[in-house]
Amino acid sequence: MSLIRRIIRSSIGKKYIMAVSGACLSLFLLTHLAGNSAIFWGKDVYNAYAAHLHSLGILIYILEVLLALVFFVHILVAVMLYFENLGARPNRYEVKKNGANNWNSRTMPYTGLIIFIFVLVHLVNFHFGERTVTTAEMVREVLSRPGYAAFYLFSLAALALHVSHGFWSMFQSMGLNHPKYNNFLRYGGLVTALVIGAVYMLIPMLVTLNDKFLR
Amino acid sequence: MHLNPQIPSGPLNEKWERCRFEAKLVNPANKRKFDIIVVGAGLAGASASATLGELGYNVKTFYIQDSPRRGHSIAAQGGINAAKNYPNDDTIKGGDFRAREANVYRLAQISNSIIDQCVAQGVPFAREYGGLLANRSFGGAQVSRTFYARGQTGQQLLLGAYGALMRQVKTGKVILYPRTEMLDLVVINGQARGIVTRNLITGAIESHAAHAVVLATGGYGNVYYLSTNAMASNVTATWRAYKKGACFANPCFVQIHPTCIPVHGTYQSKLTLMSESLRNDGRVWVPKKAGDQRPPVEIPEDERDYYLEKKYPSFGNLVPRDVASRNAKEQCDLGKGAGETGLAVYLDFADAITRDGEDVIQKKYGNLFHMYEKITGQDPVKEPMMIYPAVHYTMGGLWVDYHLMSNIPGLYVLGEANFSDHGANRLGASALMQGLADGYFVLPATICDHLATADFQDLDIGHAAFREAETAATDRINKLLSINGKRTPDDFHRELGLLMWDYCGMARNEAGLTKALTRIPEIREEFWHNLRVPGGDGDLNQTLERAGRIADFLEFAELMVIDALDRKESCGCHFREESQTEENEAQRDDENYTHVSVWQYGGEGKKPIFHRESLVFENVQPSQRSYK
Amino acid sequence: MKTINLTLKIWRQAGPDAQGSFQTFESGPISIAMSFLEMLDVLNERLINSGDEPVAFDHDCREGICGMCGSVVNGEPHGPEKQTTLCQLHMRYFKDGDTIVIEPFRAKAFKLLKDLVIDRSAFDTLITEGGYVSVNTGAAPDANSIPVPAPKAEQALDAAECIGCGACVAACPNASAMLFVGAKISHLALLPQGNLERAKRALGMVKKMDELGFGNCGNERLCEEACPKGISIRNIARLNREYMRATFCSDE
Repeated sequence: MSLIRRIIRSSIGKKYIMAVSGACLSLFLLTHLAGNSAIFWGKDVYNAYAAHLHSLGILIYILEVLLALVFFVHILVAVMLYFENLGARPNRYEVKKNGANNWNSRTMPYTGLIIFIFVLVHLVNFHFGERTVTTAEMVREVLSRPGYAAFYLFSLAALALHVSHGFWSMFQSMGLNHPKYNNFLRYGGLVTALVIGAVYMLIPMLVTLNDKFLR
Repeated sequence: MHLNPQIPSGPLNEKWERCRFEAKLVNPANKRKFDIIVVGAGLAGASASATLGELGYNVKTFYIQDSPRRGHSIAAQGGINAAKNYPNDDTIKGGDFRAREANVYRLAQISNSIIDQCVAQGVPFAREYGGLLANRSFGGAQVSRTFYARGQTGQQLLLGAYGALMRQVKTGKVILYPRTEMLDLVVINGQARGIVTRNLITGAIESHAAHAVVLATGGYGNVYYLSTNAMASNVTATWRAYKKGACFANPCFVQIHPTCIPVHGTYQSKLTLMSESLRNDGRVWVPKKAGDQRPPVEIPEDERDYYLEKKYPSFGNLVPRDVASRNAKEQCDLGKGAGETGLAVYLDFADAITRDGEDVIQKKYGNLFHMYEKITGQDPVKEPMMIYPAVHYTMGGLWVDYHLMSNIPGLYVLGEANFSDHGANRLGASALMQGLADGYFVLPATICDHLATADFQDLDIGHAAFREAETAATDRINKLLSINGKRTPDDFHRELGLLMWDYCGMARNEAGLTKALTRIPEIREEFWHNLRVPGGDGDLNQTLERAGRIADFLEFAELMVIDALDRKESCGCHFREESQTEENEAQRDDENYTHVSVWQYGGEGKKPIFHRESLVFENVQPSQRSYK
Repeated sequence: MKTINLTLKIWRQAGPDAQGSFQTFESGPISIAMSFLEMLDVLNERLINSGDEPVAFDHDCREGICGMCGSVVNGEPHGPEKQTTLCQLHMRYFKDGDTIVIEPFRAKAFKLLKDLVIDRSAFDTLITEGGYVSVNTGAAPDANSIPVPAPKAEQALDAAECIGCGACVAACPNASAMLFVGAKISHLALLPQGNLERAKRALGMVKKMDELGFGNCGNERLCEEACPKGISIRNIARLNREYMRATFCSDE
């Protein structure tokens, strides 16, 4: 117990928590992405995938709880860090010149907040709603509304930005930084972010632009 | 007054051993009963504080900067010499026979332990690929025995000592007093028993009592206003001790370093040293024609005067520092100086680049070239560098015996603040060594002798002597604040500096020194009537700090000139124009001047009292230097 | 020598608890050969001559090694030149007519004392928590008895070059001292001499760092950009590693 307390209390311990929970969330993002890609093979494949997921019963329930827990920890520690950091510089600078390459890192708390709101909306849309139609029909229904589509696109862009810093940052926090593989980590983060962003964003774009999609 | 250097008898190589053997010891359990004040936290001060703390004494360490990692030792670039099994008679010669033989020998003896100590502290010295320590040759030394950490040897050594010091702070054996300036020494019953300080943040004047006071406050090169010293380097602590009876030795011995970036304007605040290693590949020249204003690259080869190579065919550009400096001045005095001010000579790498290729030269000097370009905006690969001599180190300082104790019992002086080891020339790459030798090894072994034998009266800061010193310090501050004249402290400092540079600089003569001797009191007089210091004494007032230091420089400068006037010979850095060979080289007068000139304060408005410590050379015979 | 005229907007604050504000000055002609601090000297001489209090700022060696100087110039600690301390920054990098905003390094852990002068003793406090090798004077073994691989010694020196100026804290959006601590931890962890105390050192320094009110590292890399000695955030990664090792694997 004292070990956990020591970790949660220390600044570096919090970084480990952010990194590990971030890694779990990234894994979820990739799994979710892989599963959702079924949508590109048409509504039948997609509905079958959804039905299969639901048939997992208790297992999926446990995974959901775990995921929610990880989410909660990631957000809780992020909020703690945010306020601690605000306190570390009570007087702001008059002029603040930011580095050229750090707008992804600078915006982490804000992209994080957007993702949080998005997750809530997304859950209301697809998880907690009353299930009267097939999953594919639900996707069409939600994303054919321009407001929702725009909101999804915006949030997914924020997600990509969040990941683009988070991926490299996660390794740095766990102490992995070596000239031999730094490029791999940096570009790896970029590529992961691009893939995640592009594939997810393809869904609302296809719904909006292609009338035949999922019909 | 008899100045006993307390050099132990016996053969040179056994003196230090004997000194330690004969010293009375303080029982380890009794060490905690002794309080020691250390002023200064550079190499000497930090290493002494740390070691005294380790031994169990209660140490209070005072320094004017915000942290003990800022002392100007940090700026030493080159390296530290150690005499790994190397006979050190060239080190003794290096002082031009005006240094104590026994001290120099001890320095070389201790040097190996210093390297061991620093490595154990985690100082990252350069290593060979096999993992052992790497060496390079440096300065005047003819063999490769300098240990180094890139161009930051001083920084790494100081950070090592700083670490050791902070370890003692953690144990509570050392208490730090940052941003605290010593304003006076308190002497009671003939013993140094404390100091009076000013807290630079709050302005509070405070007293501190102890059984011994250690000054490690560095050199006085800033008497010239422009020098390579840090801006805050000053003479105040040693000067205050002098006025309380400590003797000042050889104040006129000042090392002037030949390879510095030249002055570029009147507002200039300090000079920057470029490592001497540049002279290994750079060729020094000036235009043959006086007043030649052409850019250097347009001056054809046959109109360039490579004066060092011409005059000193065997040493060439690598002549010792004092010779190189003096020759540069000579060329500039002839009107052949380079640049806008005419106070510079060229240091040209064109030939070296043609010979070895730009890559090789960049690899050797890239960081120095970069530093030069940063400051001057010129690229030494494309056009020759401009250099000029600048004040770098002061060999003079408070007189100390072999134990590093001054003539006031209980007052110890370490590092550049004392005069002990360098003689008329600073020994190359040995200033770092001296600071560390004094702090880590010499003082801790000798201070116990005083503590064990002296008769200490019980006292605290309630003693009248402390009240008196506090009042004097407060009065002086109030005086400085109340003059309300028209000139800034820096303005006076600049005037004094220029005067000293002109008349008590690289070359000195009787007429000039005499002139300086009349001018200094005049400037001082004006200072006390026409100074302006805004603000009050109750908070951080940097103008007030400076004013106090300059007031002391204005008194000290006079002593320097008196000393320079008194030493009618030329030796090492001290060049009296009246005493030169037919080839314009320094002419030593061993018969009359093989001594340390020691000055005792004679009282306000009175002449200082001269004392002589004769130097005896048992092992090396003085010989005239020649670099032809 | 070419001169330029500048507008200087400088933070003035009479004391730690006083209310501060910006004061604007016209610099007058400034030679481009001056260093930034010499430019401030010129301003201060003028202020003293007109009976005003000069701008208080810290400085000492003026050759970029003591670490005493440093202010935020137009939003950048030590100004716009890479790997340059404020004292080594020269006025030729500014243009005629420029406005320069000069602010102190700001962090909760660095109390402001006056104008641009701050209290960085928090760094010293950090070092007392193990930023050294515990070896007494005179007890050291022969320097060559433990070989150190040359590349390790070089890496240790890369980290040990830190001058303790505080620019990393000033640049960090979270006022974190991770680069400073990481540099010291790395310097000593890379050398066999410092190896024995690595766990205690990592735990002690990090604990103290948090207590002193420094913020958390957000991996934003601004510290390494501001560092006048170019110390890499690789040292922060090493600190993270050392701390992990100490937390999970050591007996401390």
